Amino acid sequence: MGETFMYQYNEVDQTLVDERVEQYRDQTRRYLAGELPEDEFLALRLMNGLYIQRYAPMLRVAIPYGLMSSLQLRKMAHIARTYDKGYAHFTTRTNIQYNWPKLEEVPDILAELAQVQMHAIQTSGNCIRNTTTDPYAGVHANELEDPRAYCEIIRQWSTLHPEFAYLPRKFKIAVTGSFEDRAASQVHDIGLHLVQNDAGEIGFEVLVGGGLGRTPVIGKMINEFLPKEHLLSYLDAILRVYNLNGRRDNKYKARIKILVNALGADEFRRLVDEEWQHGRDGELTLTHAEIERAKSFFTPFDYDVTAATDTSLALQQAEDKGFNTWYERNTVDHRVAGYRIVIVSLKPYLQPAGDITDAQMDLVADLAEKYSFGEIRSTHDQNLVLADVKKSDLYTVWRALEAHNLARPNIGTLLDMIVCPGFDFCSLANAKTLNIADQINERFDDLDHLYDLGDIQLNMSGCINACGHHHVADIGILGVDKKGEDWYQITLGGSSREDAALGKVLGKSVATDDVANTLEKILEVFVERRQEEELFRDTFKRIGIDPFKENVYATAH
Amino acid sequence: MPLLINQKVVAQDSWQSVDVETLESVQNLPDGDVIVPLTFYQEHRELLLSRSGRLGLQVNGDDDWVALSAEQANVALIAVEFPVFRDGRGFSIARQLVRAGFSGEIRAVGDVTRDRLAYMQSSGFNAFVIPEERFSADDLGAFTEVSVNYQGTAADPRPLFRR
Repeated sequence: MGETFMYQYNEVDQTLVDERVEQYRDQTRRYLAGELPEDEFLALRLMNGLYIQRYAPMLRVAIPYGLMSSLQLRKMAHIARTYDKGYAHFTTRTNIQYNWPKLEEVPDILAELAQVQMHAIQTSGNCIRNTTTDPYAGVHANELEDPRAYCEIIRQWSTLHPEFAYLPRKFKIAVTGSFEDRAASQVHDIGLHLVQNDAGEIGFEVLVGGGLGRTPVIGKMINEFLPKEHLLSYLDAILRVYNLNGRRDNKYKARIKILVNALGADEFRRLVDEEWQHGRDGELTLTHAEIERAKSFFTPFDYDVTAATDTSLALQQAEDKGFNTWYERNTVDHRVAGYRIVIVSLKPYLQPAGDITDAQMDLVADLAEKYSFGEIRSTHDQNLVLADVKKSDLYTVWRALEAHNLARPNIGTLLDMIVCPGFDFCSLANAKTLNIADQINERFDDLDHLYDLGDIQLNMSGCINACGHHHVADIGILGVDKKGEDWYQITLGGSSREDAALGKVLGKSVATDDVANTLEKILEVFVERRQEEELFRDTFKRIGIDPFKENVYATAH
Repeated sequence: MPLLINQKVVAQDSWQSVDVETLESVQNLPDGDVIVPLTFYQEHRELLLSRSGRLGLQVNGDDDWVALSAEQANVALIAVEFPVFRDGRGFSIARQLVRAGFSGEIRAVGDVTRDRLAYMQSSGFNAFVIPEERFSADDLGAFTEVSVNYQGTAADPRPLFRR
């Protein structure tokens, strides 16, 4: 199959990553030689994805808008094997993290990555981070336009942007191309939604000032229709207003959401429009040729028209219950008849969410090459996607995934959790998360029961920085430290989708051993009050938080 | 403190930065080209404009952009201060000055060191004052470490797709 329609890195991109490796190598050398002060190296290494964590440095590698080739995934496997402990971790920003690299080996790792045009540029630090999008971009039926072309345009514009590398705080952009939001766009610094106006033209609805962390906020709409050619000049205006006016006296109040809240959306919009008047119709205006060039990297694959006539799938489903369960849970409708979108579950039993071994990466890379046009996507909820698998190949793909513990049929269920690494790895965390995820896995091991509960998003963070997005899940769990003990605060009714909402606190936090018990009580209420096949979020909207409170705390004394 | 202009060390700096805190009176200003804070300039505008030497203004991110842009025609140099390494407002100030048509010297002062020189130049700075203890002749290589620029620069605002 071999042919790929991913963005093809050209000479300019290759030069950039190569030069950046040498630049960083020299920065590391000067730091180790004592020529570069700690605080400066901190900012520089962060802009190259390198944190110093609880036990070791952590290197975060960029996967632009979550799209990678088999070649690139094999390189990531190689790095896990050669420079780390044989595994890596996918994040909610669709990037990948290595938890045990050696500081002095990082330049070598970056050089290896550069061989496949990968890098760690701007995966951390107070700059524009990796732009994320819908993992089903281009293959889902209900799409207005493929958002990836615009992600690529934003990637180029934001990479090593000289003016916006020392922002007040980090800055995250998400782009969606359909009404359904699978990119948590409303809790991003900027959320861009492709929309169509009355004249049938395509543009963007622009939201600003969303975010999680200690001050969770849903983004506010400041432009209901931005013609697409103005994308970059408008982003440029937003970023300049933020760079000049965002707070720098307190890092916890430095995100754009604080500025937007302080000014109000109307005043912020006015400032952006005023600034935009200088750049509108200027050099940053996208040309038709540039938009078409970006789109050309994401044209549909050469799908097999005979795939639609497949009859093998129905037979396999009927004969193999395990396969059928996986098919129902872990594959999604494709817009082309005869194909399915396959979700590779990185939520196996009693393993950290999003973790993947080198052997698993190699396997997924092989499967992608053989059965999905050599392309893999990483998702906001820490799974992988093979976006273009023929129905007749599903059984083979499933067998291979299952043999490598990548086919647990739990996508969309309570066990498809977003979980940050927590206290076990992260120096910011207040509480452990991995043990709680295990506790929940052990308690809710009965998959039939899980399927009966329907789609439920459970997210968990080990501290108020909210990397596990606990605010925007049906059930959110936040680890807190009380006098040296881990306790867990539970929120209900959050959503990161098109109906974005922040969860409400259930009540006082619960002890480590009580988390699964508490979840059971919450789910008892749901099962009892649910109408027919109602989803948890709909029941919650209908009955509110009180019945849940009553059941959880009434028997606690 | 070494001064870089056009990616070279300049031996003679004709400009004196005036410490207005210790200045007894405005009449005691040294002769020649002086750099004073924007706020000081606003207090002594008439007198400063009647001096014979050239005038430069020093600003940082806390200063009023509107007030500065109104005076740019009266000055030959604007020194933009980077108070600390993490403060990136100066990049946008330089960018705005270029856009507003300021054709004098845009000088980066304060926490100005090797690893930000290239970004400063791309944003519109054309002079850099580097603290003595942080300067090394190798720093001149910083301008050419990364040759790729997608966005456009102050010198050539065309993004890559228009070049």
